[in-house]
Amino acid sequence: MAQCVQSVQEFVQDSFVPMVAVLCSEEAERVTRKNNLSFAELLRPFCRLTSEGHIRDPNNQVLVVKNLRICVNNIVTTPNTATAALSPAQKRFLNEVVLSCQPQESAVGSVIATGEYNLNFSATTPWFEAYRENFLQSMPASDHEFLNHYLACLLVVSSTEAVPVEQFIKLSQEQHRIQHSGEYTSPKWFIPNTLKYYVLLHDMGEGDEQRADTVYEDMKQRYGSQGCYLLKINSRTLSTEKDEQIPDPWSQYLHRNSLHSQDTLDDVTVNSGPVENSINSDEVVGQNSTEKDTVSNNLDGHPLQLDSGSSSASKKATRESDNTSGGTGSHGTCLSLNDHDHIRQFIQEFTSRGLLSHIEKNIRQLNDQLVSRKGLSRSLFTATKKWFGGGKVPEKSISEPKSTFGLLYPPEAPELQIRKMADLCFLVQHYELAYNCYHTAKKDFLSDQAMLYAAGALEMAAVAAFLQAGAPRPYPAHYMDTAIQTYRDVCKNMVLAERCALLSAEILKSQGKYSEAAALLIKMTSEDSDLRSALLLEQAAHCFINMKNPMIRKFAFHMILSGHRFSKAGQKRHALRCYCQAMQVYKDRGWSLAEDHINFTIGRQSFTLRQPENAVTAFRQILTNDSRQTATQQAAFLREYLFVHKSVMGGDGVSLPQLPLPCIHSSVTRIYFGHERCLAEGEKQAATHVSLDQEYDQDLAAMWCNLEEQLVASANRGSIPVNFQPTQYCLNSQTDNQRHPLAVVEEPIIVEVTFRNPLKVPLALSNLSLLWKFTADSSPNDRTTPQSTVEPITNEETLATGENQKDDIVTTETILNFHLSPEETKTARLRLLPHRTGQLNIVGVVYSLSESSAGETPPSTDAQQTIDLMVCGKQDLNIQGLRLNQTKEDKMSVKHGPDRRLDPIITPSMPLMEVFFLQFPTALLCGEIRKAYVEFCNVSSVALCGLRVVSTHPDFFTFGSQATTPVTPLTPTSAENCSAYKTLATPPQLDSVASEVLVSAEVFSQFSSVMDIPIEGGTLLPGESTQLPLWLRGPDQEGVHEINFLFYYESTEKRNKISHRVLRHTVFICASRSLSVQASASRSSVPPHHSTKEKGSSGTLVFIDVENINTSESGVREFHIIQVSSSSQHWRLQDCINPAREKDCKLGSRERAKLCFRATRCKPPRATSDTVKKYTFADLNLGNERIISSSTPCGDFFFRCRRTPALSRTSSSTKSQGTASSENKADDITNIVKKCNELDLNIIVIWKAYVVEDNKQLILEGQLHVALQSLGKEATSLAPKEEAQEMVLLKFKSELPVPVPPPSAELSQLIKTNLHYPEIYTHPFGHNSLCLVPVTLSLSNCSMALVDVLIDLQHKSNSPESEVHHSFTWVGQTQYKLQLKPQEVLALTLRACFLQAGVYNLNTPRILAKPTEQMSLSETSQQTASPALIIINKA
Amino acid sequence: MAVCIAVIAKENYPLYIRNVPTQNELKFHYTVHTSLDVVEEKISAVGKSLADQRELYLGLLYPTEDYKVYGYVTNSKVKFVIVVDSSNTSLRDNEIRSMFRKLHNSFTDVMCNPFHNPGDQIQSKAFDGIVSGMMMQTG
Repeated sequence: MAQCVQSVQEFVQDSFVPMVAVLCSEEAERVTRKNNLSFAELLRPFCRLTSEGHIRDPNNQVLVVKNLRICVNNIVTTPNTATAALSPAQKRFLNEVVLSCQPQESAVGSVIATGEYNLNFSATTPWFEAYRENFLQSMPASDHEFLNHYLACLLVVSSTEAVPVEQFIKLSQEQHRIQHSGEYTSPKWFIPNTLKYYVLLHDMGEGDEQRADTVYEDMKQRYGSQGCYLLKINSRTLSTEKDEQIPDPWSQYLHRNSLHSQDTLDDVTVNSGPVENSINSDEVVGQNSTEKDTVSNNLDGHPLQLDSGSSSASKKATRESDNTSGGTGSHGTCLSLNDHDHIRQFIQEFTSRGLLSHIEKNIRQLNDQLVSRKGLSRSLFTATKKWFGGGKVPEKSISEPKSTFGLLYPPEAPELQIRKMADLCFLVQHYELAYNCYHTAKKDFLSDQAMLYAAGALEMAAVAAFLQAGAPRPYPAHYMDTAIQTYRDVCKNMVLAERCALLSAEILKSQGKYSEAAALLIKMTSEDSDLRSALLLEQAAHCFINMKNPMIRKFAFHMILSGHRFSKAGQKRHALRCYCQAMQVYKDRGWSLAEDHINFTIGRQSFTLRQPENAVTAFRQILTNDSRQTATQQAAFLREYLFVHKSVMGGDGVSLPQLPLPCIHSSVTRIYFGHERCLAEGEKQAATHVSLDQEYDQDLAAMWCNLEEQLVASANRGSIPVNFQPTQYCLNSQTDNQRHPLAVVEEPIIVEVTFRNPLKVPLALSNLSLLWKFTADSSPNDRTTPQSTVEPITNEETLATGENQKDDIVTTETILNFHLSPEETKTARLRLLPHRTGQLNIVGVVYSLSESSAGETPPSTDAQQTIDLMVCGKQDLNIQGLRLNQTKEDKMSVKHGPDRRLDPIITPSMPLMEVFFLQFPTALLCGEIRKAYVEFCNVSSVALCGLRVVSTHPDFFTFGSQATTPVTPLTPTSAENCSAYKTLATPPQLDSVASEVLVSAEVFSQFSSVMDIPIEGGTLLPGESTQLPLWLRGPDQEGVHEINFLFYYESTEKRNKISHRVLRHTVFICASRSLSVQASASRSSVPPHHSTKEKGSSGTLVFIDVENINTSESGVREFHIIQVSSSSQHWRLQDCINPAREKDCKLGSRERAKLCFRATRCKPPRATSDTVKKYTFADLNLGNERIISSSTPCGDFFFRCRRTPALSRTSSSTKSQGTASSENKADDITNIVKKCNELDLNIIVIWKAYVVEDNKQLILEGQLHVALQSLGKEATSLAPKEEAQEMVLLKFKSELPVPVPPPSAELSQLIKTNLHYPEIYTHPFGHNSLCLVPVTLSLSNCSMALVDVLIDLQHKSNSPESEVHHSFTWVGQTQYKLQLKPQEVLALTLRACFLQAGVYNLNTPRILAKPTEQMSLSETSQQTASPALIIINKA
Repeated sequence: MAVCIAVIAKENYPLYIRNVPTQNELKFHYTVHTSLDVVEEKISAVGKSLADQRELYLGLLYPTEDYKVYGYVTNSKVKFVIVVDSSNTSLRDNEIRSMFRKLHNSFTDVMCNPFHNPGDQIQSKAFDGIVSGMMMQTG
């Protein structure tokens, strides 16, 4: 229970006060009316005694009566009797009282913090106190108790009356008539002979004071000095003493009524707005009728309807005066402070002299009666009652012994006398005696089964016991409980039960028994009165929170119940307050269902109370919460929200409201700069570039960035500018958004916003567009105005007002309809087209939210409604940047960097290039050469230049070199069936000798991977387009290859924020297997004289194995090898030594062919350094046309494919060279040896493939490269398959490289030996037994170093086979020591001596060699050639 | 048997609420939420007498017109609340106790799930099954 202003004692005492009636003559009424007051009202502020009164109890003990209050009322007579319930008028009145008493908005409530809860609520409930006060005052007088029966009557007559005494008699008679005629059941009177107190009212303003005094003297004579009084008032005249400030004690008693009626009137006018709900209008009707009641039903109203006639009159009067004079000092204007004192004295006099003595007398009298009756035994007493049955209990009906009232006593019944005495004692605060009497009465009533009486006695006994000072006995709470139960269940009198409960609860509260009080209050709630239930539940809730361990949740729950009842009772404000207080407990604690319910109710109540802002907030809560409500419920919420929102928006459309739905995932917002691209149009294939449809890939982005860096470096002569930033066309959450992105004027900006519908109902957004702010660049001509004055322009107002948008600055595209299914996440792409340069900020999105009418609602009637329920609002796009984690401060706190994704800077126009590809294949054979065309198109109004391209696969394509580009038709259509190669028709030659061309590598290669694109003039003017041929070569590895191109271009104007632009293109090429070429070279053992044309020793045989490894059965029919070319700095293919001599080498599926060629060293190069880099291209055509391998596509691809390994090799060799000089000499040997074996011959195999496709035969061409690095080693065109690396043990120590012993096998190849001799030699052994045969041993140094050679002819091989009986011997010098210069060929003439005919192996000399410089090294025996057999014939 | 079974976290937010007449969900939420006051009262009362720490079953929290509300608190201050129809007189204290024990065991299993994030709503089929079993028996 809430805290009260009054203490409990005061409250209980004031609930039961002596009642005094007033009868006024008309003249007297007129006199008081001057003050806007009736006589009773005049007295009311002074009704509490300031001094103590005294009274003697029956035992002559003097009792002190403190702080007594009396209640003075006009007599209002009504015929109707007391009922068990309040009349409707009373109910309305109470309702009004509660309604008028609202908590102040600014009032600071008390804060209770328990556990995790911090509650803020008002500890006092003035509306409850007001209700209670008025309720108790309006209690109907009942027969079973006397407390609110009139004890005395004031008869008031004015001194201006002609004969005042007559008036007194008249009034006295009237009083008598009212009390005793039986005409009126109410008012009720306490005692038959009511105290009459005669008051002569004298108006100082008009009457003759002398006369009044005489009349008073006369009255004294007549009624005794204690029974009359002369009251002089109105001593103040309005005109003279206007400025004097007189306190207005009446205001707090009377003014409130008028105030609240005014208040309610205000409410009515406020509420009669466009939206009116039924309860509200009910309320209005109720109020109107109440007012009518109070005005007209002067006599019909309740007896204690406080002086309704006059008060309503005064109310009216005050309202009028309020309207005229501002409502100050409207009461008691004719009363001076002296008059106030007079009145006070009068009450004092009346109470102490008249009333108290009257009560004292009556108590004595009743006591005497009771004492005299005490002689009779109680049992006898009751027995007689039974015997004479009905005499005393006339109305007790036997048939229904427990009827509503049980039984009724006649007014003079002795049991009632006790009760009467108890009540009197209670009124004069003699609680001990009162308690005893009540207790006795209770016993009597109970034995008589007079339940109503008994309950009344019980109630009062409990109260009396409580009020007894010193408390000899504890408060009997069970008395109260019994009383309440009896009132309620037996007597069905809720009013009395309620009074009892109010008293009991207050008392229990004062004793700290909150839970009992709460239980009591909750029990009193019932269906018959919502207002009472609401108030009591609220009090119960307060009880829960005031407990020692505050029961917060119970408090909240009962607050909700109370709020519900309040709203049923039409007390919207109170209901709202209750719900709000309960909300504090439920908020953000996971009880979402309850929270939603409360929010919804708050929303509705706020709305009906014209607090739409609160309503909107509450509804927004429901919608943004992840609600667990059902779809229908959510739909209802949404509809309500839209409706409320709609009405809030009303007139002002300047600032758009924030909408809660749908949710926007700000962080995943993507923004794209540039036009949307149409990818394929017919034959033309546009560059893929970047689009919003692509997912962001970190690796890809890094790859593009790397490519762009290469481009920029090449554009800036090898160095990357410091402020280089990779171009980002599409920004998302993963890109670097620290800087303002740059957008180009007249190029669209596309923002992709992700919406999520959290509800289970569909949502429809319409007129969705972006909200932006634009700050224009300060143009140079208004430089006088500082930068700060440039006002940002926004499109918010125009959108709000629905005017045409500010299209001249930024064109905003609108999506007319955007539908979101339940719980769907969907993206919307919104476009902006800036027309001016400056700073653009994309602030948010604007849209109209409405319920989706799709499907569910019947279209006929609801169409209008759905249009109505459309709310225009906005949502901001707030993107939080990445968390900073650089400095220590950043790490300590959570800081987020800026995210400038949505704040692009609009720069002046830049060139824009489109790239199209024509005849671009998607599938190629490995090594296939295809010609395609690329078209560059400048679609902007600015010229562009500096066109470059870089690719991840530089060996995939070439633009051809200027110098050697074959004259091919430039237009793609005419070139359809032409070969990509430059060919020369040659007649088939019998002895095919390679034709040679010497080409410098620089012609082809731009050695970086960046290629300048050779467009004419280097610039592309606006609108211009140019087409270039492009050769493609299928990658050497089969599979799908992703090939990325990055085109680069810049504006011809240099001073721009954007230095360059790039265009991306990604193609996927599917490469399928074609041929596999394996080549190996070996030193030919053919003696030099066979190759007559060549001087050197350097005949090398090249074997090429070609295998068709194409697997597709349908596609390729056969391959033809049409040409084999070589390219090398030192070697060239000389001729074909194909034994089969078949010219065209055909290869069916899985067939294999072997080709054999001879290679020779090139002519010794001239000593100039630049020729070293020249490559010799030698073509050996097997067909009848020669492809010039040194010209564009072939040579280009040769160099391109070669570059990658060559580059890597040179880098590694330079590294080794750096260390070699200081290292051991073993490296030198290996170098020498390597040099010796080095071949460095590149073979290009050019083929044609016959392919059947769609019943058409196609001829595809291609080339494969094999690089022969050294002799004896096999090389293949296929890249060696990556062997799956085996799991190896982890080695934590790097192993020291073991010094490699010089490779003896390689050292044994330093010298090539040949024996020249006649194969068959006929010798006449008979003639000469010794046969001498000259043999020439030719030694050729293969290495590039000086070699020491040791030839030992005497060497005996120790192999058993060589032990031939018939051996021969070398004659002459048998040991030679020679030194061979690099590449030197030396012939030694030896002589062999044979003794008999036979076959001999001449190859017996042992040849040891070592490089001259290597002193430490021992000579190595050189590899010997195959056996050299000689046949010696006998002649 | 039971009409509503609820598991409430230490911080007094619901981890799990199921009720049989699904149309009146809000009412049960309010009932369970309000019962927490009594639970807290009982816990604090238990705290005074340390001897009785072992007893997790709190007994009848409070009767309403239609329902009886029983409570149970684990050592980690997770609360179980079972709401039983008042008309169901066949249920005795022992049976309620065993229901709570079963519930507690199942709850422990849920918590043992390494993929369950403590403090999240309980979304376990096994737990659902146990709860349904307790509610089903009334038919």
